[in-house]
Amino acid sequence: MSRNWTTPGGADDDEARDVGVASALGFLDPASRDPGFWMRFQARVLQGAAPELARRRLMADLTVGDVLTGWARALVPTAVLAAAVAALVLIRLTPAPLPATVEDLLTAGIQTRTIPEALHESEAAASVAFATERF
Amino acid sequence: MSGSQTPNDGELVVRARRGDERAFGQLVERYRRAAYAVAYSVTGRQEDAEDAAQESFLVALQRLDECRSPERFAGWLMTIVRNRSRNLVRRESLRETDQVPLSASTRSPTPDRDAERSELQAALRDALGALPDVQREIVLLHDLEGWKHREIADRLNLPSGTVRSHLHFARRALREALSGQETVEERRRSSP
Repeated sequence: MSRNWTTPGGADDDEARDVGVASALGFLDPASRDPGFWMRFQARVLQGAAPELARRRLMADLTVGDVLTGWARALVPTAVLAAAVAALVLIRLTPAPLPATVEDLLTAGIQTRTIPEALHESEAAASVAFATERF
Repeated sequence: MSGSQTPNDGELVVRARRGDERAFGQLVERYRRAAYAVAYSVTGRQEDAEDAAQESFLVALQRLDECRSPERFAGWLMTIVRNRSRNLVRRESLRETDQVPLSASTRSPTPDRDAERSELQAALRDALGALPDVQREIVLLHDLEGWKHREIADRLNLPSGTVRSHLHFARRALREALSGQETVEERRRSSP
């Protein structure tokens, strides 16, 4: 191997490849020992990339309608289920009776007997005389 | 898309993002050698360079949406290659206490001519190993892969003058190593 390494072709022309250095570095190219190296390299990379490429194709093919349908497919059953659960809960709850009249509102929460109650009782028992004297 | 026969990187990246296998294949074909050279410049071992370069293409595909300037794909890819290669070296050096240096080539007993070649390669590996990372990368991309100054500057995000300067010093170091090797060989031949 007698090459004049000190004066390689294009050595001082920076833009040109340094032929001496380039040919000396040639052994670093795996294809110099194994001509099929780059083909196999390419095939291995593409094989490894196949799942990701397929995923990307799938994502790219999706339309707005597909996305909405996809949402609806998950959303509708969930909403139906939630409504059913809510209905069950509402049916099981026994809501406190709401006050119906003005008297009920005024007497709600009072522990002792109230005038309406007393009146009601007295009506049931007998007539009540509020005045004993007669003119 | 332009009507040209060879689509540019930006077009290929956009198509690869949509899962176009052919476009991604073209990107791999276009940059596989450079990726390997950059990986080799970091790892110093051919098997590691191959692994790192392959992994880098797969990582690049997974992160393709993060490539903000598709037309600058090459520079972005080389950054991934460099990082993956450094990680690989770090992992290897944790595994092995004595990492095989760039100069550690397989030196099996060979006939004279092969031995001569193998010594020359060892000397070159030594010289490459002694270069700073950036110089090694630049000289491999320029003199092995044939990239132009402008391409290297653009893709490695370096000023063109810096690329020229690194290339000049790298070549000088390699030539010195090679001429030194030749002197040893000549001396050996002339000795009785």
